[in-house]
Amino acid sequence: MSNASAARTAERTSKRGLEILATDFGWHHAEREVPALQGLNVRIPAGQKVLLLGASGAGKSTLLHALAGVLEADERQISTGELRIQKQDAFARTFPVGLMQQDPETQIVQSRVGDDVAFGAENLGIAPEIIRARIPQVLKEVGLGDLDLGHRTQELSGGQKQRLALAGILAMNPGLMLLDEPTANIDPAGIEPLRDAVLAAAESTGATLIVVEHRLQAWAKHVDRVLVLAPGGGILHDLNPQALFDDEKIRRELAASGIWVPGFVPVTEPVGTSPGAQLLTAAEMQVSRSVRAVRTRPIDLELRASRALVVLGENGAGKSTLALTLGGLLEPASGTLEASAQLSQGQGSEPFSWRAGVLVGRIGTVFQEPEHQFVTQSVREELAFAPTRARLAGSQQDQFDSQAVERRVEELLERLGLTALADANPFTLSGGEKRRLSVATVLAASPDVLILDEPTFGQDANTWLELATILIEELRSGTSVVAVTHDADFARALEASALHLTREADNAGRRIAVQGPMLDAPLGRSWLTKINPLAKLGAVAAATLPLISTIDWVSACVIIGATLLALPLAGLSVGRFLRRSWPLIIAGALAAWGIALVGEDSGATLISLGILSISEGSVNAGIATGLRAMALAVPTVLLLSSTNPSDLGGALAQQLKVPHRFVLGALAGMRLLGLLVEEFTTLTLARRARGVGDLRSPIQRVKAKLGQVLALLVQALRRAGRLAVTMEAKGFGTGTRTWVRSATFTLRDAAVLTVGILLGSAAIGAALWAGTFNLVWT
Amino acid sequence: MNVAPATTRAQWRVVDIVVASVIAVASGVIFWAWNAGYGFVSLAFVAFPPASAFLSGMWLFPAVLGALIIRKPGAALYCELLAAIISALLGSQWGLGVLISGAIQGLGAELIFAAFRYRRWNLPVALLAGFMTGIFGGIGEAYLMGYFAEYTEAMKLFHVVATGISGLIIAGLLTWLATRALAKTGALGALTSRSAHLESPWGRA
Repeated sequence: MSNASAARTAERTSKRGLEILATDFGWHHAEREVPALQGLNVRIPAGQKVLLLGASGAGKSTLLHALAGVLEADERQISTGELRIQKQDAFARTFPVGLMQQDPETQIVQSRVGDDVAFGAENLGIAPEIIRARIPQVLKEVGLGDLDLGHRTQELSGGQKQRLALAGILAMNPGLMLLDEPTANIDPAGIEPLRDAVLAAAESTGATLIVVEHRLQAWAKHVDRVLVLAPGGGILHDLNPQALFDDEKIRRELAASGIWVPGFVPVTEPVGTSPGAQLLTAAEMQVSRSVRAVRTRPIDLELRASRALVVLGENGAGKSTLALTLGGLLEPASGTLEASAQLSQGQGSEPFSWRAGVLVGRIGTVFQEPEHQFVTQSVREELAFAPTRARLAGSQQDQFDSQAVERRVEELLERLGLTALADANPFTLSGGEKRRLSVATVLAASPDVLILDEPTFGQDANTWLELATILIEELRSGTSVVAVTHDADFARALEASALHLTREADNAGRRIAVQGPMLDAPLGRSWLTKINPLAKLGAVAAATLPLISTIDWVSACVIIGATLLALPLAGLSVGRFLRRSWPLIIAGALAAWGIALVGEDSGATLISLGILSISEGSVNAGIATGLRAMALAVPTVLLLSSTNPSDLGGALAQQLKVPHRFVLGALAGMRLLGLLVEEFTTLTLARRARGVGDLRSPIQRVKAKLGQVLALLVQALRRAGRLAVTMEAKGFGTGTRTWVRSATFTLRDAAVLTVGILLGSAAIGAALWAGTFNLVWT
Repeated sequence: MNVAPATTRAQWRVVDIVVASVIAVASGVIFWAWNAGYGFVSLAFVAFPPASAFLSGMWLFPAVLGALIIRKPGAALYCELLAAIISALLGSQWGLGVLISGAIQGLGAELIFAAFRYRRWNLPVALLAGFMTGIFGGIGEAYLMGYFAEYTEAMKLFHVVATGISGLIIAGLLTWLATRALAKTGALGALTSRSAHLESPWGRA
């Protein structure tokens, strides 16, 4: 260990990259039939910039994870041969190594920009003052120098998140940076700034750089070497980057395995159709996510059979919202969206009013994330799902009989090359297979209009070609196709007309809005925000928890009164306080009602309801119970409106010595709350688009909701897995860590805690004095 | 070579901590959706408030789900407590009392898994843990926290039993089914429970 830390110290002060040497290296994941990597022999000299390619399943990510030290050998996972970094075993993690994966959401760990940059360096035990000096420096290097350190990481765009992750990596001062498809999930506009930041970082630190990408355009000219992994193991090609431009044989070979070599566009057949009947017409239509969300400009458009339309525009212009509205999943905020008689076939003209079963046979929507739309346990059931639910217009009659459904399923399996996977669980397919399946599930009900959100995003060239081919066939058979896309080649292949959405002027430069509940809402600058979180927590606990012992109105009123008096300290007006606390007040009222109804009766009976009755005694008990419930709950509003959970976590770990792995793990998980809420909302829409929600019995409804919960858990677990890799790669949980934000406890904090204790005692004292004290445990 | 020090079955790896945390957070989302979409369900109980205990298994499932997925000592307690903290942060009607409730409920499930020495994760154990988290939670609410101190004795008993039954079904049965369904999707790949769907419901594994 002392050796390791000595080496770390040496590394931190030097400015050079690390050398990598693999000798017959291999890795076998648990429960896989074949090894992910085997017989790998390669030497990468210090400071080299390498582009790492290979067909899907060739072990690119596995190699990066091994180098980052996040793979762990045990009885079921085996490594063979040797993998050395600067002559040390890579698994011993002697040197800090930076790793960036493709999902921007899980490359961020903390909820504030400054904290996130510091996270990895803190885990390495670097002195706080050194980290504090580095933070602004590395943020500037990645082009985020103008961000406030307290800026919420959730409000950054995907490209900015990746650059923030890079800043965090730089703060660790690694001699090796590993990037696993860093640009696959970000908008084209964000790709170049990110690439430039990566290259500048590699240049200034001298770090060795390994980038895995399948879109080579952005990187090919800027790397020293191209390595192509062979699917069976070992290195297939070791190339000069120039070969990606000049060597036709290599270009063809790479393109055939799905890699986007620079300048390559797969060849598709011409569509060659003429526009058919009008199907959907939008007039002066504005769209928005919710009643309170921003609306787009008014949109006019026509969708015709056999024609494709692509929707273009920058982030936040409302492209996806438009797609959801055209898909009958959101209601237009204003204006009209009208289905022609040919499309509606006897239904009303507004798609949003159609039941899910009616919708699936008319307008199909393919979501960006295929997993959001999977609703069954096998590929075959997945394809049969929509056609068995599709209903004929104006009736409960099935659109397809069971034989027709079966024929349709077999035909689609064949057409999409999924026959061999018919019984596989959809979630276990590869990325490209999932994408094809998600399109096929929607096509299964033969909709006349097909809407796709970013269908080619992050796809390899083979999947791209398959998608384009399917859609061209659909156009020829009379379907109207709408695609939200950044992909100009794709638009050309579909011979699509284009609709450009622009942002509302007053909407430009707006932060990315966060929907749903927030745990770390901005706090303002009230007096209480400056108090140690543990002191506040202790004060609220000391003031409220004694109330558990008694049910009386006096002690409750003391605490409610004190809370109201303390509102200015938290910077809350009475109005804002009521907006935050009304659910608590209603809950108190409900509790009062419950006791009044079923509590023990005494005194005069006021109302009699069969076996239940309300008496004077039970009403008084009810009021006391309701007030106590409110008194227990409302003081927490003071705490929450003035405390950032990260600060509370920091104080818990530093001052109460709660194990920091659990505190920081919990905080990292909590950062995903908003994202998961958004995902849950998306799942509701995505499942309606599949025909869920048009269910006949209550049991089917309950099953459908449980299915949605399960889908949410799958997404949550996937994110958790990636987040854990990020945290491990940032050295989390390996040794003693330092804290950039050190928690302090001053006299002022002590005073707040004391006031809390006094209030708790005063409340009980007042009840005893008034003679209303009423112990619950008797 | 390359054999990292084998972690014992009891030790929490980073991935265990993060997954447990995210399960608790997802539970928070489910609570939130439940509150937002099913407010009227609780209104349905205005006629007979104690019956709402039949749905209280909703608040208990993180304990058993976390334990079945993570399979480490403390997982039930950690997940339930963190889910409680999250609902407190989102604004709970029980104030900080929710933390005490969370700890009590988590403890109920934890004791069952501990009694089987953290070696059994099958259906009977899951049902027992779900039932126990309900019984602990019910006793905590009715007797310790005194939320229903003014109920008649029979009503309090009814509350405890109803919470136990709710826990058995929602926190026990449904989470056991959910764990198997999750294992089938491959989403548990990095965890000890990754092949839960291949285990016998009554088996020893």
